Amino acid sequence: MARMKFFCDVERCIECNGCVTACKNANERPWGVSRRRVVTIKDGEPGERSLSVACMHCTDAPCAAVCPVDVFYTRDDGVVLHDKERCIGCGYCLFACPFGAPQFPQQGAFGRRGKMDKCTFCAGGPVADNSEKEFELYGANRLAQGKLPLCAEMCSTKALLAGDASVISNIFRKRVFNRGASVFTTGVSHQNAALRAVPRKPGGRASTKD
Amino acid sequence: MKLRKKSDQVVSLATDKNAARHSSGVMMNRRTFIRNTSLAAGSMSLATALMPGMIKKVQADSAATEGKVKRIKTVCTHCSVGCGIYAEVQNGVWVGQEPAFNHPFNHGGHCAKGASVREHGHGERRLKYPTKLVDGKWKKISWQQAIDEVGDTLLEVRKQSGPDSVYWLGSAKFNNEQSYLFRKMAALWGTNNVDHQARICHSTTVAGVANTWGYGAMTNSFNDIHNSKAILFIGSNAAEAHPVAMQHIFKAKEENNAKVVVIDPRFTRTAAHADQYLRLRPGTDVPVIWGMLWHIFKHGWQDAGFIRQRVYGIDEIKKEVAKWTPDEVEKVTGIPENQIYAAAKTMADNRPGTFIWCMGGTQHSTGNNNTRAYCIFQLVLGNMGTAGGGTNIFRGHDNVQGATDFCILSHSLPGYYGLSAGAWKHWSKVWDLDYDWIASRFDQGSYEKKKDKALKPMNTKGITVSRWYDGVLEEKDKIAQKDNVRAMIFWGHAPNSQVRGPDMKKAMEKLDVMVIIDPYPTMAAVMSDRKDGIYLLPAATQFETYGSVTASNRSLQWRDKVIEPMFESLPDHTIMYRLSRKLGFDKPLFKHIKVDNDEPLIEDITREFNKGMWTIGYTGQSPERLKLHQKHWETFNFTTLKAEGGPCDGEYYGLPWPCWGTAEMKHPGTPILYDTSKSVAEGGLTFRARFGVERKGVSLLANGAYSKGSAIKDGYPEFSDKLLKKLGWWDDLSAAEKKLATGKNWKTDRSGGIQRVAIKHGLAPFGNAKARAIVWTFPDPVPVHREPLYTPRRDLLKKYHTYADRKSFYRLPTLYASIQNRDFSTQFPIILTSGRLVEYEGGGAESRSNPWLAELQQHMFVEINTHDANNIGVLDKQDVWVETPEGARIRVRAMLTHRVAAGVAFLPFHFGGWFQGKNLIDKYPDGAAPFVVGEAANTAMTYGYDSVTQMQETKVTLCRIIKA
Amino acid sequence: MRQVTAVGIRHPGATRQRNRRYMLWSFLLLIALTLVLPLVPYAVAYLQTQAQNSSAVPNPGTELWNTIRQRDQAVIGKTQASQVGAGTLINKRGEEWRRFRMEKLVPYSAILLGGVLGLILLFYLIRGSMRLPGGRSGKRILRFSLNERSVHWFAAILFWILALTGLITLYGRFVLIPLLGAEGFSLTASVSLMIHNFLGPLFLLAIIALFFTFVKNNFFACIDWQWLAKAGGLLKQHASAGRFNAGEKIWFWLAVILGLTLCISGLILDFPNLGQSRVVMSWSHVVHGISAITMIAVSFGHIYLGTAGMEGSLESMTTGYVDANWAKAHHDLWYEEVQNNSESETTEPLTPAPETK
Repeated sequence: MARMKFFCDVERCIECNGCVTACKNANERPWGVSRRRVVTIKDGEPGERSLSVACMHCTDAPCAAVCPVDVFYTRDDGVVLHDKERCIGCGYCLFACPFGAPQFPQQGAFGRRGKMDKCTFCAGGPVADNSEKEFELYGANRLAQGKLPLCAEMCSTKALLAGDASVISNIFRKRVFNRGASVFTTGVSHQNAALRAVPRKPGGRASTKD
Repeated sequence: MKLRKKSDQVVSLATDKNAARHSSGVMMNRRTFIRNTSLAAGSMSLATALMPGMIKKVQADSAATEGKVKRIKTVCTHCSVGCGIYAEVQNGVWVGQEPAFNHPFNHGGHCAKGASVREHGHGERRLKYPTKLVDGKWKKISWQQAIDEVGDTLLEVRKQSGPDSVYWLGSAKFNNEQSYLFRKMAALWGTNNVDHQARICHSTTVAGVANTWGYGAMTNSFNDIHNSKAILFIGSNAAEAHPVAMQHIFKAKEENNAKVVVIDPRFTRTAAHADQYLRLRPGTDVPVIWGMLWHIFKHGWQDAGFIRQRVYGIDEIKKEVAKWTPDEVEKVTGIPENQIYAAAKTMADNRPGTFIWCMGGTQHSTGNNNTRAYCIFQLVLGNMGTAGGGTNIFRGHDNVQGATDFCILSHSLPGYYGLSAGAWKHWSKVWDLDYDWIASRFDQGSYEKKKDKALKPMNTKGITVSRWYDGVLEEKDKIAQKDNVRAMIFWGHAPNSQVRGPDMKKAMEKLDVMVIIDPYPTMAAVMSDRKDGIYLLPAATQFETYGSVTASNRSLQWRDKVIEPMFESLPDHTIMYRLSRKLGFDKPLFKHIKVDNDEPLIEDITREFNKGMWTIGYTGQSPERLKLHQKHWETFNFTTLKAEGGPCDGEYYGLPWPCWGTAEMKHPGTPILYDTSKSVAEGGLTFRARFGVERKGVSLLANGAYSKGSAIKDGYPEFSDKLLKKLGWWDDLSAAEKKLATGKNWKTDRSGGIQRVAIKHGLAPFGNAKARAIVWTFPDPVPVHREPLYTPRRDLLKKYHTYADRKSFYRLPTLYASIQNRDFSTQFPIILTSGRLVEYEGGGAESRSNPWLAELQQHMFVEINTHDANNIGVLDKQDVWVETPEGARIRVRAMLTHRVAAGVAFLPFHFGGWFQGKNLIDKYPDGAAPFVVGEAANTAMTYGYDSVTQMQETKVTLCRIIKA
Repeated sequence: MRQVTAVGIRHPGATRQRNRRYMLWSFLLLIALTLVLPLVPYAVAYLQTQAQNSSAVPNPGTELWNTIRQRDQAVIGKTQASQVGAGTLINKRGEEWRRFRMEKLVPYSAILLGGVLGLILLFYLIRGSMRLPGGRSGKRILRFSLNERSVHWFAAILFWILALTGLITLYGRFVLIPLLGAEGFSLTASVSLMIHNFLGPLFLLAIIALFFTFVKNNFFACIDWQWLAKAGGLLKQHASAGRFNAGEKIWFWLAVILGLTLCISGLILDFPNLGQSRVVMSWSHVVHGISAITMIAVSFGHIYLGTAGMEGSLESMTTGYVDANWAKAHHDLWYEEVQNNSESETTEPLTPAPETK
């Protein structure tokens, strides 16, 4: 059985936010509910890298563990979903989630958050596949149509990958090899490059004495 | 099924400084608020009131099957990468958007804008019906009334002041057919006061590059970058402005070990993925390039063979470059020797290398110097005309390339024919109209002279968009036309892309009428204090019509219509028909174009321009060929763009121009310009013989370099009937071709026979010449460095001062020295530059009205180095005033960062809807305000215009920043 | 055995000795070599890696991922998303909190509460209810005014609703889903949480009122330590006490302090619209949970003593009056004070207390 995973290739992510709006496109969540976001470390400095993050569909999901009403369930393919109709909006899943995936449509007083919404790996929810109700509550169910999440399908540089874990790791392995291969041909590790602001002095300083 | 207009869930977000902290994203409307906080008595009612549907049994919904889902192919409407899109439409509603995995440009990838185009099908904040400003209030009117009133006003202005008093500002978002039609419309109206975004974007590129080797467009393609071994970016932040281009750059980086060098005043997101980064002072591009060439010449890294065979004038360049020693370079640009050396060595060691630039290089008073310097660099290294090399100029809007090629420009007719009598005569023939009648449409006066010959407005360059408001405000006698500009038509063009906001506002208030034809009101609707005389006419987006569009790499793509025009909007060409009919020249305008129900037939327009665009080869791309390419876009190779098998076998995707000859000739398109390794018939090319045959005793024709299969193994001039006769090939023409070709050359022969015969013999119709490194017709024949008009480096002015003021340039007095001579450096100590954000595009009216995009960039800001911020006493996210020397000031949020150097500040371009501290969101028509408003950077940007094209200097000026 | 003696060999015996010596040394050398030689490649390899490491390029990803994992310090990235805490890629506290709640709070609190209940039950079964020494005298003394009783019951009822709804949130998934089913429990939990969230802020008022109403008599004095030393008279000794004995005082202060922590942490949890981060929220929850369980556990004792555990106690809070004998037995100093202060409060003249056994 395929195990569905996300992977964001940090060497390729350019923070274009295509994944973020693709998610909005597919799932039509309202303003303020952003299932996916891109976070940039060392913004504006050498070593700047970005990562796209949404629900990571953990194997041992902390959200599922802490939910007081036990609305989460993990499908055979590893996708973690939840039943919005039973959610009580307590926010515990958000406290537990390392990635901040749970989104709430309101930030109300007296803890009124509304129903938790999160990335579903474009796999809908516990109602009939591709029904109107499913779209209202959970957004798209692309997996049921044999497609993959739209965020990864629309990534501008193919940084964000989604799908079967073994397929993804194969793709990434090839990339790592390609990047590392530069060591053999040029003696410089490709991945190392942008962490330096100023290039190393080239061999042989240019001067009028050359 | 899928599409939901969730308009009741989205609430307008007026992002003024007083916006509640809750503006950090979360909106709730009254209904949900009451619903969720009500304390209704009784648990059952409580339950149902608060948790709707929770305890109801889940019904098994039957999948909605009413109406089949159609899959329509189109192209993104945002930037010029030209990403393919699959739109899924059901019952006329745009319900889904799927990635086009097999589209050769993007393989399904999109940036934030491309991934959200389906929102155009919602169009919540669109301009929905024709609107008129009456006594300060927006009033809905009918199309009939709108056209009638606008038409009457324009005719009145024409009667009183002449046709040049109406300014036709067109759009880079027109498709090719609309672009061509618009230029024709302005021509038949009788004015050259017509322009579009290219003027303020890549006009210096087109001028500089075309004057170097013949054509001013991207020479290779995004896909061809796969072959590069080095990639240099200067003034280009592709990661934000052309994100999908990065897909190709990463491919080169990872699979080709390509080195990436980024030269930019900011450590951009592109620089973050580069191998080398050089931080230059804004406005010092030429010194950087000459500094690199200094090392290249010194070490003999130039491609001497290539230079000898295909380049003219390098010796003059060498003389100029010799002045740019590493010390001088560091003094002027701030970049130390080792970095310049490393960059030069990288480009020299890793060939073929490609050279990419965008606004950072073009938007300067010396923009044409910059662009030529870039070209010369590539010529010196021999990187031209080869896969993986070239000057890959990333254009901006989705069809700015097409709009430029059709010359919605004040200095030329479509196809860069210019404005000479010959050009007009050529087009008159194409339009099947009487030349004299067209001439009579123009003002018959004379306001300019050329060597004692009186020139008529028909043949003189019109006012540019960058100066339109000077056309309104300047003293009548100082303008080279009969009267001031009195009527302004903003057709698909925002006002906040032009500088000097306060002046523009004054001009807007002086106009007789302002007509805005756009899917959105834009900032033009709210910027001025006018109480009437503004018409807003809703145009349809490119998803509500169809036609061809030219991507940055010169490929033409065919768009199919996704949905019918929304609300009461009309496609641009329909509006052009209605307006021209009111103005009285629809019959000549549409003489050979069928009009059905007020909508001109797009394919007829394509066929018409196919008949006239010989200069750049828009003649072979017939509607049928383009539609075939669209239908089979999956058959084209990802790197070469050549179809491998399939119905388009052997052709290049989109038949990139020049696609020579008639469609019957089936030229495959020219994927890489100036590539002599292929025969012209197969898409190869030489440098254009555009500048004469000889200069100062030196031949300008190619020296022993020629394309594969060339009958002449040397350089040759451009083709005319005379040359054909001389070569003995005249009889290769058919009788019909001979009739049209007699007395004509390859540009004006409407049979296409001259081109066909030349290519038959392996020759390029436009000749085989050397590229020239010196443009003797330009103010600076050899590109030199001149300090920006507003510069902090007064010490450099003696050596690198700007030009002298000009009395009349594109009809207007244009200042240079008188501005630079005033010292603002102590009062305004920070260099101010501007640039792009990935979430928005252009003036921002369209993208800021898309909630999915607007949510991601809610506040206008200024990037200011932490060092400067601490000196000023400003904290992150605090409001500040950014003030510029001409008196304008804008109120924005400070963003402290190390991205910009100390002493430099950066403003993003796309915001609008505020003006000098005042939030104008209430002035928008109801339901048509964008979700996010903010100060427009260009309100504060200052005077400064390129010496060849009048491009504004938006990349460097001075400012001071104070706490608000 | 006679050896063939070759020329040049002087002593046959010496040869043998020498040979043996050679053999021995060879043998030792062989052993040494077999021990040492295999180490040579290791040494070479070691030296090689040392050389490699000194010029090796460190994995650049290490720095990035350490930053993201926040191994060294908390790092906030930049993002266009506007939710609170959106800039944090990985929130380590989340897992820590999950561990705490599910592996500590839930099981241990269940044990604690169950244990306390069990102990009380045991105590009751063994010791039984503490009867009034000498039976009822029939004389009544006013102990709690209407105001005091109102405040107490207001707080007590509120406390119990909050405690119950809180426990539903804590244990409901394990205890009530089997009983009510997933959907049924969802409705219960939802209503329960809503009640908890709306009544919670009220509890702050209750605690404040409780504090000001009862603080006067709740300061500790020497007599309280003596009372504690005697275990409050539990072991049949008589322990003197004022209006409130040490046990009650401890309960008062516990209730106030725990009540305040409950309220403050509760308010933080109840108003997520103030921009607090997930980390603050999870810490608040920890404080809230521990305080709540502690308070509930101790309240079991208080309630027991106030009802079944001690005859004559409950009426002090319901009617406001206590029997004189009850006062004498449990709060003799207060009883004296009352006697001295107002004769008119007693309804009948004093009668000597009957002898206690």
